[in-house]
Amino acid sequence: MTPRLRLTSIVIILGMIIAFVPENTTKPYKLTASELLEEVQYGTEMVSPDDLAEWLINNDPSIQLIDIRTPNEYEQFHLDNAMNIPLSQLLDEEWIDYLDQGIMMNIFYSNGTTLSHEAWMITRQLGYENNYVLQGGLNYWTETILNPSAPALTSPDDEIAKYTFRKGASQYFGGGSLTQSTAATKSKASKPKIKRKKKKKAPDGGC
Amino acid sequence: MGPLIPQEIIGEGWNFFIAFAVGIGFGFVLEQAGFSSSRKLAGVFYGYDAVVLKVFFTAAVTGMLGLLYFSLFDWIDLNLVWVNPTFLWSAIVGGVIMGAGFIIGGFCPGTSVCAAAIGKIDAMVFVGGIFIGIFAFAEMFPILKKFYMSNYLGQVKLSEVLGISQGALAFFVILAAIGMFWVAEIAEKKFPKEEY
Repeated sequence: MTPRLRLTSIVIILGMIIAFVPENTTKPYKLTASELLEEVQYGTEMVSPDDLAEWLINNDPSIQLIDIRTPNEYEQFHLDNAMNIPLSQLLDEEWIDYLDQGIMMNIFYSNGTTLSHEAWMITRQLGYENNYVLQGGLNYWTETILNPSAPALTSPDDEIAKYTFRKGASQYFGGGSLTQSTAATKSKASKPKIKRKKKKKAPDGGC
Repeated sequence: MGPLIPQEIIGEGWNFFIAFAVGIGFGFVLEQAGFSSSRKLAGVFYGYDAVVLKVFFTAAVTGMLGLLYFSLFDWIDLNLVWVNPTFLWSAIVGGVIMGAGFIIGGFCPGTSVCAAAIGKIDAMVFVGGIFIGIFAFAEMFPILKKFYMSNYLGQVKLSEVLGISQGALAFFVILAAIGMFWVAEIAEKKFPKEEY
């Protein structure tokens, strides 16, 4: 038996073993109460309106907005491309493929944050990943993105930069105040840099 | 236990240093194996030399088996290992462009840097071309963006798409690799290298 034949047979045997052993499931997805408490304390489930605005402007394909309010409220106003999953129907069979998946980043929103947090809590306990909550809900979205208020003149630079971005984003989303429509803010709005919230990070590779 | 950096067993600051060390080692091995010759890479496409195919598939099989066994023994949490997101159409078109570049240039991006480092002029021209390509792509990105982002499938693994277990898929990949090596060796005999 030549060395390479020996090596080939070892690899085939290893492959057969791995094909038949069950996958390691010692890490169940369900969270303990203390793990959940830790997540809530760190606020890892929150997405800030500024981040969301950037992603929407950039047409990030992995974002799925989910409106948790009642169909009535959804009819009256909802964010573009949002789907409606009322909290009362959260556990319906038809939504499970949307909620329990590893592809899209679901962002729950309601008027405030109570409903969306309840929805997040339930799905998180079920072990679903990729569900997030829009910080402050629609109210805060309107306040910060659609009608941003100017910071005091003495504010630090990043406050002012944030305001400039919000101003541009407000125009992009067709928000209330269009008083200061300069070309500069508009071009700023169309191409803000993508600043990802911390997802899993690892270096990419290639040959 | 692993992966070590996402679990913060090794600090994130070490990431680039480790990548640098691994990269130097990778380049050294490529050069030692003769991959800095463009004939070696082109040989895969003309059939006279399948070493590149064998090396990369052997590496893939070794890495795959290693990760699966590590996961089996609970040494690594595969959920924390980064999987490149798939944009189907841009991946296909990118693959075709890259493959054409392999045949025309005789280098893959890694081996070109390797060969440039030992002073090969064709490799330096190739690396220059890479940067022109990067620049052109970046400038054209607003036009290409829609296509670039199209058909987003998320961070999927082949085993999930096919609906089989990771281990079963690994076994089929091993069989496929062995089959390919066998065919490649037949091709090597059938299309012997013409010496210049």
